[in-house]
Amino acid sequence: MTLAHYMTVSALLFLIGIFGALTRRNIIGILMSIELMFNAANLNLAAFDRFLHPQGFIGQTTAIFTMTVAAAEIVVGLALLLAIYRNTDTVYAEDFHLLRG
Amino acid sequence: MIDQIVFYSLAALTLAAALGVVLHRNTVHSSLFLGLSLAGVAGLYASLGADFLFAAQIMVYVSGIAVLVMFVVMLLGRASDLHLRQVNEYWAVALAVCAVGSVGLLRIASAQSGTLAAGPASPSTHAIGALFLNQYLLPFELVSLLLMAALLGAVFFTHKEARQ
Repeated sequence: MTLAHYMTVSALLFLIGIFGALTRRNIIGILMSIELMFNAANLNLAAFDRFLHPQGFIGQTTAIFTMTVAAAEIVVGLALLLAIYRNTDTVYAEDFHLLRG
Repeated sequence: MIDQIVFYSLAALTLAAALGVVLHRNTVHSSLFLGLSLAGVAGLYASLGADFLFAAQIMVYVSGIAVLVMFVVMLLGRASDLHLRQVNEYWAVALAVCAVGSVGLLRIASAQSGTLAAGPASPSTHAIGALFLNQYLLPFELVSLLLMAALLGAVFFTHKEARQ
C-alpha cells in the first residue's frame, strides 16, 4: 500500500462530500456531507503521518484537533437547525429565505 | 497480500457507504450509512497503524456524532419527506465541480504512487499524550474552551424561550 492509495480514497470521499453538500436539499444531509469531508481530511492527515513523517505523530495530533472541531461544529449546527425548524417549520435549505427580501 | 485485501475492502465499504449518505432518499437510512462510512474510516485508521485515532474515531464519530445525527433526523423527520425530491436541480453543476476537482486531486495523489511506509507502525497513544501536554498545550486548552463554547451554544440555541 502506497501513499497514493490512501490519498485516492480520501480524495474520492472528499468529492462525494462536496457533491452531497452542493446537492442535498435537507440541511441534515448537508451536515452529514460536511462530516464526510472532515473525515477525508483526517484520513489524509493520518496517511501523511504514517508515510512521510513516521516519528513525530504530529499528523495524528492535528487529526485529533480536527475531530474536536468537527464535533463542536456538528453540535452547534444541529442546535441551530432545531431552532430554525421551530421557527420556520421546514428543514429544506431553499425554504430558508427570510433575508432574501 | 492480507493488507491489500483489508485496504481494498475497507475503502470499498467507506466509499459505498458515503455514496449511500449522499444519494439515499430516506434521511434515516442515509444517517445509518453515515455511521457505516465513519466506521470504515476508523478501519482505515487501524490499517494505517493509528491506534489512538481509531479509538477516538469509534468513540467520537461512530457512537457520538452518527447517533446524534440520527436523533435529530428522527426528531425532525416527516412521513411526507419520503415522497419529495432530496436532490436539488443543480446536480449537474455539482457533478462538473466534482469532475474538475477529481482531476486535480487524483493527479496530486498519483505523484505519491511510489511512497512506501518507512517501517512497521509503532503505537502512538503515549506519544500523542506527551505532545498534548508539552508542545501542544495551548491548542489543547483552546480546544477545550471551544468544546465548552459549543456546549453552551447548543443549550442556548435549543432551549425554548419563555413567553413574556
